[in-house]
Amino acid sequence: MSTSVAIKPPVEPAVGKERTRLTGFMPLIALAALIAALTIADPDFLTQRSLTAAARTAAPLIVLAAGATLVVLCGGIDLSIAALASLSTVFLALWIPDLGGLATPAVILVAAVIGVLQGAAHVLLRIPSFIVTLGGMSILSAVALVVSGAGTVRVVDDSTVKWLDLYVGGYVPMSVMVAVIVVALIAVLLKVTPLQSWVSATGYSESAARLAGTPVDLVKIGAFAVSGACAGLAAVMLVSRQFSGGPTMADNLLLPAVAAIVVGGTAITGGHGSVWRSLAGALVVTLLRVGLPIVGVPSAYEQILYGAIIVVAVALTLDKSKVSIIK
Amino acid sequence: MFAALSPQFRSVDNVRSIVDAAAVLAVVTCGITFVLMMGSIDLSAAGVMGASALTVSLLVANNRNDNDFGFLGIVVAVLLGCAFGSLSGFALVLLKVPSFMATLGVSAIGLGVATLMFAGVQPNISDTMLESWAIERFLGFSYLAWIAAACILVGWLIQRYTRLGRYAFAIGGAEEVLTLSGVKVRPYKVAVFTFAGAFYGLGGVMVTSQLGAGLVQAGNGYDFSAITAAVVGGTLLTGGRGGVLHSAVGVLLVMVLTNGLVQVGVSPYWQGGVEGVIVVAAVAAAVIPQRRRNQVVK
Repeated sequence: MSTSVAIKPPVEPAVGKERTRLTGFMPLIALAALIAALTIADPDFLTQRSLTAAARTAAPLIVLAAGATLVVLCGGIDLSIAALASLSTVFLALWIPDLGGLATPAVILVAAVIGVLQGAAHVLLRIPSFIVTLGGMSILSAVALVVSGAGTVRVVDDSTVKWLDLYVGGYVPMSVMVAVIVVALIAVLLKVTPLQSWVSATGYSESAARLAGTPVDLVKIGAFAVSGACAGLAAVMLVSRQFSGGPTMADNLLLPAVAAIVVGGTAITGGHGSVWRSLAGALVVTLLRVGLPIVGVPSAYEQILYGAIIVVAVALTLDKSKVSIIK
Repeated sequence: MFAALSPQFRSVDNVRSIVDAAAVLAVVTCGITFVLMMGSIDLSAAGVMGASALTVSLLVANNRNDNDFGFLGIVVAVLLGCAFGSLSGFALVLLKVPSFMATLGVSAIGLGVATLMFAGVQPNISDTMLESWAIERFLGFSYLAWIAAACILVGWLIQRYTRLGRYAFAIGGAEEVLTLSGVKVRPYKVAVFTFAGAFYGLGGVMVTSQLGAGLVQAGNGYDFSAITAAVVGGTLLTGGRGGVLHSAVGVLLVMVLTNGLVQVGVSPYWQGGVEGVIVVAAVAAAVIPQRRRNQVVK
């Protein structure tokens, strides 16, 4: 990331405010436009069944992106979420026979602890977060390979994670409900406690936040803990859908998750953004993914699209006044 | 240490196999070193290598089409690497996207392009020259090892004697000073990324020669291994320190370590884990002396 950050606090002129209000709605506009476009391309798309299916695919992505958003809001990045989720699916699949219903909270707890470890390494050793989590990604994948013996671990008795496959009121998948509740919980928790201002202060200007007495280090470690816990929860959702855990099962969710965060409009430089935006971003990314085959584009373009989206969205949301030198 | 633990490790054959196995990593690391010297980072190696591997395997004699461009195909693959590299560079200087994000995106684009070219059927190469690279030996080492040595030499000459190499160092050391003294750094940044892309392109060609087929996953893991090797060799991720020769030593160290661990009986699956620990530890060791000064770390 950027190494040198101007210490002046961000000044938001009136014009800037107008612009932020507009960009705030951008993900929602994109979402509406996508749904409209897909409905025109395929009238069957706007039926309850296909919408439910799309929402179910989106659930793990929403949770992953929401957790990592906190880290991005603090000005860092967590590249290990997908690898951590993969490792968690392996743990969950291995632990369900012994722990039963306790396996789910255990996995989420372990994932949160791994998040704390990475956060502590980042804060205490003063290593840039993307290096810590890049190293973490490599380490976690290796652990997942060794623990699982590089193969898929089947879940024979899936009664303990089956509840995620139920439908609320017959229509809304339980996993989607859980994802939305998690996002709401994080958002409310930020709102009613001083955490909101701590997190954005850390993201906007870390030195100023430190001087003002914000517990910057704890906030950052906390953000990594939430990010880890969310990766664990996403893993539970994946296992409930696939009835197995695998050492690379969630690895292809990293790019969509990062794309969801930046498409939602959370600035990669920190401070500006919210978890709700990432929810919208995750829905946009999912719709793009399910939408490509509908429009008749081969799914190989998916990767190209993610790459382009990430670069363009980061360029659009970047707070250019804040960063003098981009590395 | 490994020599003491495993008699097999001491053999001449093993030394030879370490050097041969290090060839591709050495080329990729050579490219990434220049980017790291500037203080940027490059995560695009995997995608670029995948795209160039597919390109070269479809352009030389193969089982998918009638192309037989031979050497020209290799040149095209390397140029494709250049194109991807300059894409990262332009995203960095024009769009001001931080390099790790830009290169993450470019890597995805590269993998996507590779998947498109793969089209479900694996192209097996039958080009005798490219196949001979991995098999034929000259003075005991495979041609690939000699190509890697040549790349290191070229990299070192560029780093030492050209403006590009000198400025890459200076950008990493003190970009503000360089800008204030009237140097236009932006073209050099793009040039460095382009240059690095050429090395990844060549790396992809070399992997294709080893495997005898073009695979989308040709570059899997090389991006991170290359960063590990460069960091172990003493190139700082903050820039301004290190060099191609440092990295070459780092490559050998990493290869000796992974080869040694396998010989001692550690599961090869741990390789990525060991690399992760090394990177974090090496970066931490480099940062600790100035820990009190840098209060802001993103």
